[in-house]
Amino acid sequence: MSKLLSLSDAVERYVPDHVRMLAVGGMHLHNNPMALVREIVRQQRTIGRLLTSPCGALNADLLIGAGLVDEIATSYVGFEHLGLAPCFRRAVEAGSIRVLECDEAYITHGLYAGAGGLAFIPLPAGLEVSDIPKVNQVSYATTTDPFTGREVLVGAPLCPDVALLHAYQADERGNAVLAGAHFVDRLMALASRTVLLQVEQVVPTEEIARHPVGTTIPGFLVQAVVEVAGGCHPTASHGAYDYDEQQLGLYLSMARSAEGVGEYLERHVTGVTEEEYLEKASPRLAELRYGEGPSPVPSSGRSG
Amino acid sequence: MARGQAPFPARDGAGERAVTVAPEPSELAWSRSELMAVELAAHLRDDDVAVMGTASALPQAACRLAQLTHAPGLWYIAGGTCSVNPHLAPVVPSCCDFDLLRADTAIPLADVVLLEGRGDVLTVFFAGGLQIDAYGNCNLVAVGEWSRPSLRGPGTVGLPFLSRVGRVLIYTMSHTRRTFVERVDFLSGPGFLGGPAEWASAGLSGGGPALVVTPLCTMGFDPGSLRMRLVTVHPGVDIDEVRDATGFDLLVEDPVPVTAAPTPAQLSILRDLDSDGLLKGV
Repeated sequence: MSKLLSLSDAVERYVPDHVRMLAVGGMHLHNNPMALVREIVRQQRTIGRLLTSPCGALNADLLIGAGLVDEIATSYVGFEHLGLAPCFRRAVEAGSIRVLECDEAYITHGLYAGAGGLAFIPLPAGLEVSDIPKVNQVSYATTTDPFTGREVLVGAPLCPDVALLHAYQADERGNAVLAGAHFVDRLMALASRTVLLQVEQVVPTEEIARHPVGTTIPGFLVQAVVEVAGGCHPTASHGAYDYDEQQLGLYLSMARSAEGVGEYLERHVTGVTEEEYLEKASPRLAELRYGEGPSPVPSSGRSG
Repeated sequence: MARGQAPFPARDGAGERAVTVAPEPSELAWSRSELMAVELAAHLRDDDVAVMGTASALPQAACRLAQLTHAPGLWYIAGGTCSVNPHLAPVVPSCCDFDLLRADTAIPLADVVLLEGRGDVLTVFFAGGLQIDAYGNCNLVAVGEWSRPSLRGPGTVGLPFLSRVGRVLIYTMSHTRRTFVERVDFLSGPGFLGGPAEWASAGLSGGGPALVVTPLCTMGFDPGSLRMRLVTVHPGVDIDEVRDATGFDLLVEDPVPVTAAPTPAQLSILRDLDSDGLLKGV
């Protein structure tokens, strides 16, 4: 059964008007599922809790700037060497968003717990000394280690209702190849009830089946596949194109004020279709296409 | 490959601040970032396994420099892509860059998180912060009250693991009173906590902060008080300039030596790696 859908159909069908917990994949300026994120903004889905990978970027900041996020669970939202995240920063400083302050260990292990049906997951000793668990008692607690009798920091499982993820390729059944780094996208797919995938290209199942161990998300976890070449822009898509500092710079300068981000959204998101957006971005995407680099896809399959 | 201008760090007019130690030959002119990379590299050992995270072009360059000079056996992991021994051809500003996968190998991020927890594999962790205090604690979360901060930082990522790792090497491009404070407003990356008593009672497996490298100087920690102390000042920098830029009482024992300038051989290696010139700005 084909899971191929248009961008608008995928969001309309699988993302409720208010999502209790939405996970966005990608990390820093890479593999952000921006086409899906932009469509969430166009369809004005509200988000009870937004979960990022250990390092969120535009995927989180744009949703916050659009006023759609009540609460964010994250260990970082920023633009790395390009600067702080303007909408996240403004919302937190104004007290208009709740923060579940997390660290990288909890996000990773919490997704693992969510994927495995674990009631909670113990965290390594020493993590309790930071102030993170002190300000987030939704995600962290302490209990007694039944084996040693010592106090141990534990984390609640992370079970997103919907995950928005980007993959390099998938077949129409949702078997997906994550090119380059996987970040925690695979864990997000394993832990989430509904997975929406945007991909650079849909390929025949026979092609995917040439490198089964390189297929990092099995199709049975995926509800919808949207083919949207260039859909990570202005972030990078590993194996396809680099991040666009011009567009990110434009966003960062406009998003310095609430009015500015509103104008950005109108010009680049809500006021345009995804096709129009990508049409405009296409000269930049051509320039940003990776030259000779690491092989994005396992080059050979099983021998014999 | 196509790449926009991505200076490290992004600073206006940064090129004008490059320090020149000798007018001729011009290749001997080095930047503060290059000096910092050399300082960090000097601390790395042949048997280390180092890990670094967000915006880590500088420590990546330091690790590669160490591998290509005195520490060929060093392993280093660029957290994000989790590439192991990235070849840095060239040095890139983002820790998640696809180019970092030109590397000896790459492992999943979740594996690196496991090993950070295991604690006995990784021996060096690079750290930094919006605030860094006299005991080497770091804060990447919030300046002011956490619930209503005056400055909301990006977040802590993996810094809570500093409590478990062998040696913590702190680096920052900002040596100011706002960065170097007596006590962090929010503890997101543990150093020596509140000092010797608290540090001893915490019984942490990590060795604590070992080194702090800034554009002005290199600092370490006094073994008794566990407070930051000046080790060397970089060429052309006054001790008073360091004191003025530090928001706590920095331990200074006269005489303070001057940091050795990068050698032509070190600069040549760094510039081969850094063909985009990310380290040349400041």
